[in-house]
Amino acid sequence: MTTVAGIGFLEPWLLVALLALPILWWLLRAVPPSPLTLRFPAVVLLMGLRDADSTPERTPWWLLLLRLTALTLLIVGFAGPVINPEDRAADNKLHVVALDASWASAADWDRRQQRVAELLRQAETGGRPVALVRWTDPPPSEAALAFTAGVDALSRAAAMNPLAWRPRYAAWADALENAAHRFDTFWITDGLAHDEESRARLAAILASRGRLRVIGGSDSQTALRNPRIDDGRLAVTALRLPGGERERVAATASGPGPDGLNRILAREEAWFEDGSTETEVSFDLPTEIRNRVRQIRLLGRRSAGAVVVTDDAVRRRRVALFGGSLEQEGSPLLSPLHYLRQALGPTADIIETDLSDALQSDPDVVILADVGNLSADATEHVSAWVADGGLLVQFAGPRLASSDVGRFEEHQLLPVRLRAGGRSVGGAMSWGDPKRLRAFPPGSPFSGLPVPDDVVVNRQVMAQPDHRLAGRVLASLQDGTPLVTARDEGMGRIVLFHVSADVQWSNLPISGLFVDMLRRLAVSAGQRAATAQDLLGQYWTPVRVIDAFGIIRPEGSIAAVDGALISEGEPAPGIPPGVYASSDRAVALNVLHPSAGLEPAAWPADVRVLPLNGGTELDLKPWFIAAALLLLCADAAAVLVLTGRATRLIGPAAALAVATVLSTWGPGSAAAGDRERLAANNTVLAYVITKDQRQDAISAAGLLGLSTILHQRTSIEPVEPVAVDVEQDELAVYPLLYWPVTAGQASPGGEAARKLDRYLRTGGVILFDTLDSGDGGASERFRHLRRLTATLDIPPLEPAPADHVLTRSFYLLQDFPGRHAGSDVWVEAAPADAGKLEGVPFRNLNDGVSPVIIGGNDWASAWAIGRDGRFLFPVGSGAAGQRQRELAYRFGVNLVMYVLTGNYKSDQVHVPALLERLGQ
Amino acid sequence: MGFREHAVRTDRRDAEALAEGIPPLLARAHRLAATLSLGVHGRRRSGSGEEFWQYRPAVNGDLLRQIDWRKSARSDEHFLRQLEWQTSQSVTLWIDLGQSMQYWSRKAADRKADRARLLGLALAILLSRAGEKVGLFDDPAPAETGEVQLSKLALSLLRTSASDYGLPPEKELREGSVAVFLSDFLGDWDMLEGALGRVAEQRVAGCMLQILDPAEIGFPFDGRRVFESMNGTLRFETLRASALRDAYARRLAERQSALRRLAARLGWRASVHVTSDPPLASLLWLYVALEDGS
Repeated sequence: MTTVAGIGFLEPWLLVALLALPILWWLLRAVPPSPLTLRFPAVVLLMGLRDADSTPERTPWWLLLLRLTALTLLIVGFAGPVINPEDRAADNKLHVVALDASWASAADWDRRQQRVAELLRQAETGGRPVALVRWTDPPPSEAALAFTAGVDALSRAAAMNPLAWRPRYAAWADALENAAHRFDTFWITDGLAHDEESRARLAAILASRGRLRVIGGSDSQTALRNPRIDDGRLAVTALRLPGGERERVAATASGPGPDGLNRILAREEAWFEDGSTETEVSFDLPTEIRNRVRQIRLLGRRSAGAVVVTDDAVRRRRVALFGGSLEQEGSPLLSPLHYLRQALGPTADIIETDLSDALQSDPDVVILADVGNLSADATEHVSAWVADGGLLVQFAGPRLASSDVGRFEEHQLLPVRLRAGGRSVGGAMSWGDPKRLRAFPPGSPFSGLPVPDDVVVNRQVMAQPDHRLAGRVLASLQDGTPLVTARDEGMGRIVLFHVSADVQWSNLPISGLFVDMLRRLAVSAGQRAATAQDLLGQYWTPVRVIDAFGIIRPEGSIAAVDGALISEGEPAPGIPPGVYASSDRAVALNVLHPSAGLEPAAWPADVRVLPLNGGTELDLKPWFIAAALLLLCADAAAVLVLTGRATRLIGPAAALAVATVLSTWGPGSAAAGDRERLAANNTVLAYVITKDQRQDAISAAGLLGLSTILHQRTSIEPVEPVAVDVEQDELAVYPLLYWPVTAGQASPGGEAARKLDRYLRTGGVILFDTLDSGDGGASERFRHLRRLTATLDIPPLEPAPADHVLTRSFYLLQDFPGRHAGSDVWVEAAPADAGKLEGVPFRNLNDGVSPVIIGGNDWASAWAIGRDGRFLFPVGSGAAGQRQRELAYRFGVNLVMYVLTGNYKSDQVHVPALLERLGQ
Repeated sequence: MGFREHAVRTDRRDAEALAEGIPPLLARAHRLAATLSLGVHGRRRSGSGEEFWQYRPAVNGDLLRQIDWRKSARSDEHFLRQLEWQTSQSVTLWIDLGQSMQYWSRKAADRKADRARLLGLALAILLSRAGEKVGLFDDPAPAETGEVQLSKLALSLLRTSASDYGLPPEKELREGSVAVFLSDFLGDWDMLEGALGRVAEQRVAGCMLQILDPAEIGFPFDGRRVFESMNGTLRFETLRASALRDAYARRLAERQSALRRLAARLGWRASVHVTSDPPLASLLWLYVALEDGS
């Protein structure tokens, strides 16, 4: 490509034609416009006359200039001028189209795919083999890129989706380091740095293989970090790229509702301050609700980065603690519950109350510290609670050791049978040293926890060995005696620590291991994210996974993952983000590493970054050609003028041009009159504009909905509803005005009031809607309405009687619900002497139509439909709501019928009399 | 034949419409004694005719057989029975059928030929209503009167000539009859003058109506032009037509004054009709010219 003054030319050789312009100049100059041959009988009189000016007429200089400019434009135009030309040069025959295809690409994935398709088609046109690569995929094992024809790559690109983790730049850099090919690379980036170092290395490798072009840039990217509990609130940090302005973010927390269906439980907003890159959205929720939260999602962002799932870290368990012995005042360190309180206090809600009361409050865990024997009643109670899914943790102690509980048969609340008395090791009266812990066996929930050397056990209760014991041991001492045993009971679990919860029997309760063990037992879910400690040695099965677009779906097909991989805190190929479960515990793996931030990608200075949508490249060819054609048209016109042929054409052409211009610009100026003409020639429902634009939109949509229904069901075929300003517009052409009463409205002043009065007196009807289910005229809106209509001449009103024509002008109705139901609708009062005809269920009411109808049922909202025919506002709920909406429409139909036909339906009561008279 | 019938009928209708309201044209017979052709209109004086005019007392010199014996028997005197002198004039029309008459510009309402035909036919109708005889130069048959002659006339007026400019052909005319010439008189002047002179030599009265297109008067042309005669035999090219306007106007004036001089010399009348004007004025001029005689 040749570039001249910032303008590139696709076909620069065509510019050679510009050299021919001087020749054209000479030729054009020499040839004047051809004469016009004309029949003229009186030519005989001309014969022999001579032109006064005998010099041959030459083309006027301005016409020449016009033509030469047009030609220049044509030549330049066909040479393909391009502003900010894209670099189309290719160093290599092979092309690689590589996408970041990470979660950050998901938001505008369609555009990326389009761009990829463009690139692949270009490659196809150029006959270049192309390799399509997602950096998020693991690199192929045999360090070779698969180059295919562009068409094949196109179909693959169409089916390609982004992946919910960050690109594997390092792995690809390693894989491509020794690639044999040379190729040009189009790198479609998502604009995030991800891993700056590896990305730079990869970019350098690609640049060394051929030309590297980077496409795309950093749009706004927003992502969430792992949620956490902060001061009793569920908080999540939202991140964005640097350099943004003040911006609002809204997030929803959702999880199973009481009915088990996923619901939005809370919605919160926060602001990114000008220039700041992070903000915190915090949800202040009751514990019960907070424990239900399964995911937090940023509204309006379509990427996995804008979704986080929660795990036990944000669950706060309720733990009921019971100690066997009474607390001894002044010596808390001796209390068997003290260490439990210390271990659990920061992370769990501790309940210490009467056992039966505690069970009522539905604790997640009940801890019995050296309780020994419970009453039979309490035992049954606890046992039932465990079978229902509770976790019972027992600690041994002197009382348990001295009791007979579990001595002869398996106790309901103990995992194993116990031997009498327990044992004491390493004491003054015993042989041997205090026992240390043995490494936790694989399969145990404690597996992977390091065993500190300094934890020793002096006393313990002993499990009665039997054939079931081996399967119930979770931890044991070095000599093999069980330290922690567990048994599943129903849906719940019973765990027994064979040592006491205080430090009398062992120093386990004052070691860090104790806290870890409790956490692993899910007694206390940590408020910090699961650490490697928590995860190692476990296999985790994905339960729900997040795809790159941020959609969460249940997962059943991915194999369990080693906790070590999850402990890296970041999803990777094979480890999608989501919720992983192992036994009772769940751990969330979110897209963003807990410590990660969002950094925009920086590219080496010599790499051009092109915009995603082809961007600034502007093809000037059409403009040049259009300009040339315009000039040629001007030339044609000029020739017509010169040869005198113009007069014949200019008149009609000018007329046509004027007509075109008028027809384009005309409607705007004539709109108001047109609207009234339209209203006069058609049935039009009209609403009064308020100061509230939202209400106006509702009114418009409501009348549109009603008009549609009227069109469908009745012979009234209204056209599009119109907005009416009572101060300015002509009202006489509208049979019905819908007037929502809003707070900001001013009562119509002098002229408008007179106009409204005239309108009402001459048969117009206004439906006032106070929108608030006005209770008998006492609401604020009603007072406002009273003020609004103070200047109008409104007749006495009464609530619409059951025999009012409104109840039967089309449908038979009992009441007139809108979005609200049940409030009265006020119409002009019937005259006092309205009598009831014999044998007719209706009174013979006043003739004429009630000039005002007042209600507060917010009919417009119930009627409102969008342009696409969908209802805009919910009415009621379920089938009852549908029925209510239907009744609202029926009221609307009746109303319009009433307005248009007056008391015609009421006159039907005379039909029997008329028929009788006809019979005579 | 369908088209011709239609055309004839249309011409007749237009001409009738034009002639409506004008009293039947009574061409004053000129040189009565010389032409004794009998017509239907009484001349308000005694002469040879069919209608009774008056009885007059016989005087000396009257022939005996001229006495009306029936009238004379009722009294002592002798009376002669005199008949009203009845005569008819014959008018011969020349309507130029040359190609030049086919021209019409944008401002004209009609082709010159159409206008000439209309005027000619209207005149023929008027004459025919008055009982005059009407004939055509292009038609060798003598002038006749009546409906049949009108139809014949209308039919033969539909012909056109292939030549650019028409010339009145030689025709034997009765002495004292009238010749009417409707043409643009743009043809070669010498030939025209000769032909018209030869007609005048037959001692006929004449009217010449020059029919011109507005473009032929105003010369509204501009720019580089090639002018061609209607069948292309004449060509004239100019680089700046507007510059020729004055010269053209002078030439046209010359031609018109030549025409007027010729008319004066022959004792004829001449006028100009422009096709953008309504035809009635020119028809009235013809009417008056024929009525007064030339």
